[in-house]
Amino acid sequence: MINSKKGKRTGFLLILPLLVLFLGLTIYPLIYMVYMSFHQYSLASWEEPKFIGWKNYQEILRDHTASSSVNFTLFLLFTAVPIEVLLGIGIAFLIRDVWGEKVLRSALIIPMTIPPVVAGIAWKMLYNYEFGPINYFLSLFGLPKASWLGSQSFARLGVLLIDVWQWTPFIFLVIYAGLQSIPRDVVEASLVDGASGWSAMRHIELPLLRPLIWVILIIRVIDVLKLFDIVYMVTFGGPGSATHSYSFYIYKVGISFGWDVGYASALSIILLLVVTILTNLLIRFLHLSETLGL
Amino acid sequence: MKWLTKTVKIVLIAIVAFFFLFPVYWLVTTAFKKSEDWFTWPPSFFPQHWTLGNFSGLEGGFFGSVTTSISTITPYLINSIIIALLVALISTIIAALAAYAISRFKVGGMRFVSWIISIRMLPPIAAALPLYVIFSHLHLIDTWWALILSHLIFTTPFSTWILITFFNEIPQELDEAAFVDGANIGQTFWHITLPLSAPGLASVSTLAFIQSWGEFLMALVLTTSENAQTLPIYLGRFITGWRIAWGPLAAAGLITMLPVVVFSLLMQRYLLRGLTFGAVKG
Repeated sequence: MINSKKGKRTGFLLILPLLVLFLGLTIYPLIYMVYMSFHQYSLASWEEPKFIGWKNYQEILRDHTASSSVNFTLFLLFTAVPIEVLLGIGIAFLIRDVWGEKVLRSALIIPMTIPPVVAGIAWKMLYNYEFGPINYFLSLFGLPKASWLGSQSFARLGVLLIDVWQWTPFIFLVIYAGLQSIPRDVVEASLVDGASGWSAMRHIELPLLRPLIWVILIIRVIDVLKLFDIVYMVTFGGPGSATHSYSFYIYKVGISFGWDVGYASALSIILLLVVTILTNLLIRFLHLSETLGL
Repeated sequence: MKWLTKTVKIVLIAIVAFFFLFPVYWLVTTAFKKSEDWFTWPPSFFPQHWTLGNFSGLEGGFFGSVTTSISTITPYLINSIIIALLVALISTIIAALAAYAISRFKVGGMRFVSWIISIRMLPPIAAALPLYVIFSHLHLIDTWWALILSHLIFTTPFSTWILITFFNEIPQELDEAAFVDGANIGQTFWHITLPLSAPGLASVSTLAFIQSWGEFLMALVLTTSENAQTLPIYLGRFITGWRIAWGPLAAAGLITMLPVVVFSLLMQRYLLRGLTFGAVKG
């Protein structure tokens, strides 16, 4: 019955709602966006979209704010992501087999469960120049107060720190779960053979975790490309354009300041291309045929 | 030597715990601080007096010319609850049907599954922009449906994914046995698969609820007034003005995050499965 023709037809009927949803809410809008990206189209004026070819795309190359937002996004990719991965792996090894690890694990993943908007509020208070606890801690070490959201480099560091705080727990959780799935006897056998705990970790456990590390690495890279909420809440892209993430810049161009939907669409298409390439890479690492039995 | 490594370990764990938990501690305690403790130097780490005034609007009152009370939160709270409930309901139904088809009849195969992942990874801003234009033409801007539809884009792939892994764990032999006894596909799904996957359905609807509850970008772009704006937008609004009333802001933040944090911790296993596309069984 399952593999019968009737089964296939029923199956198709069952995925139909999902198919309609995707077609209506993603495929159609995406096609529309490609169309707009070749047009001069602003919601601030009453003019109809006017075809201008590749002009929107050429504009990106000349746009200094766009390149500075790419800059900031790259900065986060090369700082936040490696820090999170290393720290997450370190913490997973540190916590396991410790007394009370279950409670500790649940406590440590709280940051990733907090909605980014709320996390933004918490950190906005922590970063406060006059009364913020972080500047107080600095003063305990005899350091001067830092203008966390007022200076370019501190604001960038500030966003980086929040990202590390919020997403290291995710990597920790994944690695921790991965470690649990490694059969105990594999590790114990090597310990009996005289390997130290350290070398068992380096030569047995870490290599076994490698596929998993690739998966979360790519997921985190894509997430950084999507970064928006924290920037909006904590720095609003400032000071100047120092902390414009790429997504935040698209929002500014297309919605909040410019209403320049044509240009924002072109910027979005570039982002989509990059994310699509990364997602394909991710799919390759996921070994779907095994995990899903397809 | 052994006690040394042990001490180092404990110190490291303490530092880690402090870094990840202090911001949470600060937010929670500030929500219960009296207004004189909001702005102090040194900051008030262990407030002497606790108050519920930040929630009821008694604490602080007017701050300059702006009221700091969160008594205006009600319509946003109602919007959040209704939108998140409908998103949870609709996305669970759509996802359960699709996941059953994929798990049992292998409909669409790898290509369809890859497609689901791609949509899950879609940058929200890239969807928000065309949806804004399309929804304006349909007069959907600033309605519940604008948010429900846009949230479904991200919750259904997530739910479908978790449910595929869930249905896969239910032995196919049970279906076969039912077929042999003369049940049709609908009866088998309804009487065999659904009851067995009740925990899975409960967790995906909860996870869809919390994703919708905390979502910010779509709500920011697609709504304009308290007709449809949700709690995260309410919080965003608070951040304007020359000095922010920390107590009520933290109180509103606490209300927003509490259901999400509690449910996420309870659903850790499935959350992990959904976030890693089954790379971790959890």
